[in-house]
Amino acid sequence: MDEMTRTRVGGPEDPREGLEAVVALRRTLEALEAAQVENAFVAGWSWARIAEVLGVSKQAVHKKHAKRIRAKYPGRPPGRKGRDL
Amino acid sequence: MIFTRFTDRSRKSVEAALEEARMLGHDSLGDEDLLLGILRTDEGLAAEALYSLGVRLEGAREESEEMLSLALSSIGISLEEVRREAGDTFEMRIPEDRRIPLSPQAKKALVEARRRMRRMGDNYLGTEHVLLGILGNTDGMAVRMLAGMGVSPEVLEDRLFELRGRAAD
Repeated sequence: MDEMTRTRVGGPEDPREGLEAVVALRRTLEALEAAQVENAFVAGWSWARIAEVLGVSKQAVHKKHAKRIRAKYPGRPPGRKGRDL
Repeated sequence: MIFTRFTDRSRKSVEAALEEARMLGHDSLGDEDLLLGILRTDEGLAAEALYSLGVRLEGAREESEEMLSLALSSIGISLEEVRREAGDTFEMRIPEDRRIPLSPQAKKALVEARRRMRRMGDNYLGTEHVLLGILGNTDGMAVRMLAGMGVSPEVLEDRLFELRGRAAD
């Protein structure tokens, strides 16, 4: 298949497909972030450490994820693991 | 405001659409969610027409997930692999504390539903009008979803009016 006939997603011939891929990716990214933050919490990581690795403020992580995760794991305090790494 | 003249059924179907959108991880409520809401509520002419053409809630959800998966694979991402990597905590569901707005396409469908209601001389906005509104988005997600299930807008609209005529007899 040569360069001219290759389907290029989001190329000028079909912007919609390209834009819809962005939407799908955004939704998947949100779900992936929620899952990985939860995984880290379950592994005993502190909000501070999770935030650090995500490259955002602790407040941002807390605001976005704490309520959901706390509801799912009642009684479990935020971890300390990774604090001193 | 937007629910003026809606019947109990059609209002219920929009509320169900919101729940479907949340479950499927749709961060805005699209016209495909309005369709899913009609199927989930499973009452009224629209649901009956869809059912008679073999459209089921489960199948429609799968179609919606398939469209997401296809969109991702078009840019080289496998949803299955993302799922496997993230483990059991991965779910598309949107947390309860996040609001889900109506998408422009869904708004357009509801505006069109009202237009169809008027043109049909009805004074209530039922599920049939919502469905006709959805079909008005000719290249919308819902219409493409239906196409994926082998149902064309024309056939569906015909069936709707057929059932409506029968109900009026």
